[in-house]
Amino acid sequence: MRHVWKTLRMLLIVCICFISLVPFYILLVLSLNSPSRNFYEGNMFVPDFSLANYREGWEKASIGRAMINSGWITIIALLIIVVFGAMAGYAIGRYRNKFNLIGYYIMIGCMMIPAIIITVPLYSLMIKLHAINTLWGMGCVCAVSALPQAIFIFTGFVRQLPVEIEEAAIIDGCSKWKCFWKIVFPLLKPSISAVIILNGFGIWNNYAQAVFFLQDPKMHNVPLALSVYFQQFAGAHWNLMAATAVIAIIPVLVVFLIFQKNLMSGLTDGAVKG
Amino acid sequence: MRSKKIGLHTFMAVPAFVLYGLFFIYPLCKGIGMSFTNWDGLHPAQFVGLQNFLDFFHDKRALHDVITTVVFAAGSATLLNVVGLIYALLMNSKFKGKSFARMCIYMPAIISPLIMGYIWYLLLQPQRGFVYHMMLRMGKEAMFPNWLGSFGSVMLTLVLVNVWQYAGMTMVVYLAGLQSIPVELYESAKIDGANGRQCFKYVTMPLLGTSIRINIVTNIIGSLSVFDIIMSLTGGGPGYQTESLSIYIMRMCYGSKTGYSTAVAMILFIIILVPVLISMRLTRQKGDD
Repeated sequence: MRHVWKTLRMLLIVCICFISLVPFYILLVLSLNSPSRNFYEGNMFVPDFSLANYREGWEKASIGRAMINSGWITIIALLIIVVFGAMAGYAIGRYRNKFNLIGYYIMIGCMMIPAIIITVPLYSLMIKLHAINTLWGMGCVCAVSALPQAIFIFTGFVRQLPVEIEEAAIIDGCSKWKCFWKIVFPLLKPSISAVIILNGFGIWNNYAQAVFFLQDPKMHNVPLALSVYFQQFAGAHWNLMAATAVIAIIPVLVVFLIFQKNLMSGLTDGAVKG
Repeated sequence: MRSKKIGLHTFMAVPAFVLYGLFFIYPLCKGIGMSFTNWDGLHPAQFVGLQNFLDFFHDKRALHDVITTVVFAAGSATLLNVVGLIYALLMNSKFKGKSFARMCIYMPAIISPLIMGYIWYLLLQPQRGFVYHMMLRMGKEAMFPNWLGSFGSVMLTLVLVNVWQYAGMTMVVYLAGLQSIPVELYESAKIDGANGRQCFKYVTMPLLGTSIRINIVTNIIGSLSVFDIIMSLTGGGPGYQTESLSIYIMRMCYGSKTGYSTAVAMILFIIILVPVLISMRLTRQKGDD
C-alpha cells in the first residue's frame, strides 16, 4: 500500500513538472520553425532549427535596448529599496518613537493597496517632476510599491539582532552612522537577499506601470517592447513572435538558474519571517 | 542604544518616508480628490461631487468589468491556494530530484505574466494554435474547445493560465510553512492513534495558519488587480467581455476621462479592501495583533 502510494506520488510529481515545462518547449519549437513552415507538415514537436528568427526578432523588436532599460530600472529600484529600506527598518526597529511608528503603520496599512489605484494621479505628478520617460522615475515608482514590505522584513530582522554588538562598537569609538553601515548592514544580508528575490523579477517584468510612464519607444522596458512588437504582427509571423519571447525570457531564466538554490532558501526565509 | 542625545541616526527612516509620501501617499490623496472632479487631463478640473460614482453604477461596461474582475479573482485565488497546497504537500518529503521538481514548478512564476499570456496565446488560439493543430493531427479537432466562445470558458482559460503560472509561488509559501512544523508533533499524534487524515486536519492545517493567511491575502490583491495576463491573452476581448477593472482604468485615463478613471480606481480599492479585511479577520490567530 505504502509502496503504491509512493509510486503514485512520484508519477504525479513528474506530471506536474511536465505540465510546467511543456509550454516552454513548444515555444522553443515555434521559435525555431522557418517562416514558410506550417503545422501541417512533418513532426510537430521537432523544429527545423532556423536561427534566422532570432536575428530578425532581435533587430526588429529592439529588445536589446529594452533589456538595458529594464536592467537600469531594476538596479535603481533595488538600490532604493535596499538602502532606504534597511535604513528605515533599522531606525524603526531600534528607535520606537512616535514619528517612526506612525510612518511605519501608515506604510504597513498601505501595503495592501495595489499600484494601479494610484497610477493615474501619479501620472500627473510624474509630468510635473519631469519623470515621465525616464529610467530613474520608473525606478522610483517600482521601488515605492515594494518599500513597505521591504521595511516590514528589515524591521523584523533588526529587532532580532542583539543590541550588544552595536553597543560594543560604539564604546570602541564608532559613530552610530558608521556602526550601521559597517556592522548592522552586513548582518542584514539574509533579509536583503530575500527582498531582492521577492521584488527583482517583478520590477524587471513590470508592465502595468510601464504602460503609463514609459511611452517613448526608446525608453520601453522588456514587456512593453515585446507587446508593441507583438501588436505590430498581431497574428502573422508566429515564428518571430516566439523567437522574441524566447529572447526576452533568457536573461530572467539565466539569473533564476544561477541563483536557483539561494532563491528557494531566500524565498522561504523571507516568507516565514514576513 | 540608550544614548540621551538625539542624533541624526534616529531619523534614518526619513528618506524612505519622504519617497513613499511623495510617490504613494500624495498621489493617493490626490486621487481621492480627483475622483470628485471631471478632469480630462487637459482643461482645468471642475468639482462634480459624487457624479463619477453615480455614473459608475449606470456604466454597463464598468459593471461588467467588476463581474469579470471578481469572477477571475474568486476563481484564481481559490484554485491557487488549493493547487499550491496540494503541490506543497506532494513536495514536502524526501525524494530524488526534489530541488529540480521545485525549480520546474516555480519557473513560470518568474517570467512576465505578459509574456506568459502571449505564449498561451500561441498555444491556444482557435483554428491556428499549436494545441488545435495537435488535435487536428489526431483527428479530434472537433473536440477542441472554442474557449473564446463564451464568457465562462474565456474566464476559465484565464484563471487556469494564471494558476498554472503562480501555483509555484503559492507552493513555496506553503512549503515554508510545512517545513516549520516540528516532526515531533506528527510523531506524538501517531502515537495517540491519529491516522493520516486526522494528522492533516488537527496538526498540519492549524499550524499552517500564517502561510494560509499570506497566500490568501496576496492572491486576492494580486488577482483583483490583474492586468498583464488579460492584456496579452485576450486584450480584454471578445468585445469588453474579459476586461478587468485595472485595464478599464488605464483605458479611461487614455480616453481623457481622468477624473472618472480615478473614481473607478477608488471603487476598485474598496473591492480589494473588503475581501482582504474579511480574510484577515477569518484567518486571525491567537498571538496576532
